[in-house]
Amino acid sequence: MGEIWQAAVVDSFNKFLEKVITFLPNLLAMLTILIVGFVIAWLVKRFVLRILNAVQFDRASQRWGLTHFLSKGSIRYSPALLLSRFLYWIIVLITFILGINALEVAAVQNLIAQFFNYLPHIFAAIIILVIGYLIAVFLGQATLIAAVNAQIGSARLLSRSVRWFIMILSFTMALYHLGIAEKVIVVAFSITFGGIVLALAIAFGWGGRELAKGFLERLYNRREKEEGPDRISHI
Amino acid sequence: MEQSLQTQLDGIKTADILVGIPSYNNVRTIGHVVRAVIAGLAKYFPKAKAVLVNSDGGSSDGTQEEVRRVQIDDFKTILTSHPVHPIHRIITPYHGIPGKGSAFRTIFEAATLLRAKACAVVDSDLRSITPEWMELLLRPVYDEGFDYVAPLYARHKFDGTITNSIVYPLTRALYGKRVRQPIGGDFGFSGELAKFYLSKAVWETDVARFGIDIWMTTLAITGGYQVCQSFMGAKLHDAKDPGSDLGPMFTQVVSSVYGLMEEYHPLWKDVKGSEPVPVFGFSYEVGLEPVQVNLERMIKNFRLGIKDLMEIWRRVLPSETALWLESIGRLSDEAFHFPQDLWVRLIYDFAIAYSQGSVHRDHLLKSMIPLYLGRVASFVRENMESSATEVEERIESLCKVFEEMKPYLTERWAKGKGGG
Repeated sequence: MGEIWQAAVVDSFNKFLEKVITFLPNLLAMLTILIVGFVIAWLVKRFVLRILNAVQFDRASQRWGLTHFLSKGSIRYSPALLLSRFLYWIIVLITFILGINALEVAAVQNLIAQFFNYLPHIFAAIIILVIGYLIAVFLGQATLIAAVNAQIGSARLLSRSVRWFIMILSFTMALYHLGIAEKVIVVAFSITFGGIVLALAIAFGWGGRELAKGFLERLYNRREKEEGPDRISHI
Repeated sequence: MEQSLQTQLDGIKTADILVGIPSYNNVRTIGHVVRAVIAGLAKYFPKAKAVLVNSDGGSSDGTQEEVRRVQIDDFKTILTSHPVHPIHRIITPYHGIPGKGSAFRTIFEAATLLRAKACAVVDSDLRSITPEWMELLLRPVYDEGFDYVAPLYARHKFDGTITNSIVYPLTRALYGKRVRQPIGGDFGFSGELAKFYLSKAVWETDVARFGIDIWMTTLAITGGYQVCQSFMGAKLHDAKDPGSDLGPMFTQVVSSVYGLMEEYHPLWKDVKGSEPVPVFGFSYEVGLEPVQVNLERMIKNFRLGIKDLMEIWRRVLPSETALWLESIGRLSDEAFHFPQDLWVRLIYDFAIAYSQGSVHRDHLLKSMIPLYLGRVASFVRENMESSATEVEERIESLCKVFEEMKPYLTERWAKGKGGG
């Protein structure tokens, strides 16, 4: 009885030891990946920050309105620092995932594979959102200035409409890219903008026919009246 | 350069004088300009070998044919005899960005190839050009050793507002030379200076458009060339709608001035005060066509700017300047007044912002237009009853404010470059 008990204990201890011996290199690999990953992340952060400072990224961000946008969200870091930190944490995240993957736990590996497959979509969505925002700010500002110089009273409304249209468009594109309710988004977007255009067409073409006519007549007459006497040569 | 132009220039070999006329659809006036140039060359430079170059932007109204066709049949009617050398006429299209600057580039190329001693350029839409303009633009270069002749015109007191409120006072305060019409449009220059202009790589920038005039004047001053002015009399253009192209005209001229400020900062930072440049010609008063101004519209545009563009302006202006602007926006039409020192401060602040690139440059310049219109409205209101001499005195006082406030510019410029 005693021998059987001893054999069982020794056997299970051996199995445990075998598992530990098998697992130990994986653990060491994970630790190595984590250490190397953190060092690379730190180096990349420093390098990117230096490059961004050299190309005056903060000044360009100010010009694009990115600094203004960040300050609105109470973010006090400079865009260059923010971008370098973002890259740091991305590398840290990838390092963690690779580290966990090195442990070779089947269930976790599956999840990681799925995550890596999805990662490019997340990046693409972020890029779409950032570029969309920059274009929206740029065109919104250009519209505002052009409308003021053309003496359009509702310049700000026009500028905001342009800005929001582009931002909604880029947000929709980002969601579509992430594969979140693709069909719903496309349908919702089509219905919303189609509806707006149809409403405007009906309002101007039918309901507000007289109003539109009067508005255009007044605009034309005013222009004619105002432009007539101004003959300054600016140059 | 066009092959046909090259062939024509090779045939002529050398020239003493070259006169360039940039054009684009100017059939109504270019005949008169060409006649005045030919008569002027025959009368004042009868022994010189002269070439007339028409650099055309692809006119479709018969401008080029008109230049070919125009003749002076009887030189006796202009109290002169036939010139010793026939005046060569070259009509050529120019290449590059459509604009006056690209047309000038072709003229500089021709002047350099022909090794011309003295050159002049005159606008093709002039109605007031006379043969004497050739003498006034060319003689200081041909005989007196000057390199650059800027024009001095008699203009209506409300004409040339970009020149009077920005370009003249700013150029004078920066570089210390009182060139009254730095963007006059008609200039005389030496062949050596034409070669210098040609060596610069600016033909893809705003210089190729409206910016060419201020670029030529600034380079002549900063390059240490001998600069003078000639009194030309009245300047009358062919009629066109001046308000229609204010936007591009304003941004191209101001971007050229600001761009040159950036480039020549080491040359202007230590310049204090200004000095007059020699003047040729016989100065006299001219009766000018009245100019009508719509003050109400200008003030309205200014107020619209205050309402909607302040968010952009705040990014480039100190807070006290922004507050000052807002207070002006609240004034009634009758009490509307845009002070000189505020205007100078704005021009300097925008120059610094342009250099730093804190706002997209095109947006920055276009956002200045309502401010400019506000200042013009105030200037017109203040001088409604003033004589031309009194208006000139006011412009002189504005120039002095520009010079006095230059330390404000240099200090802020240095801080901006230092990252402050």
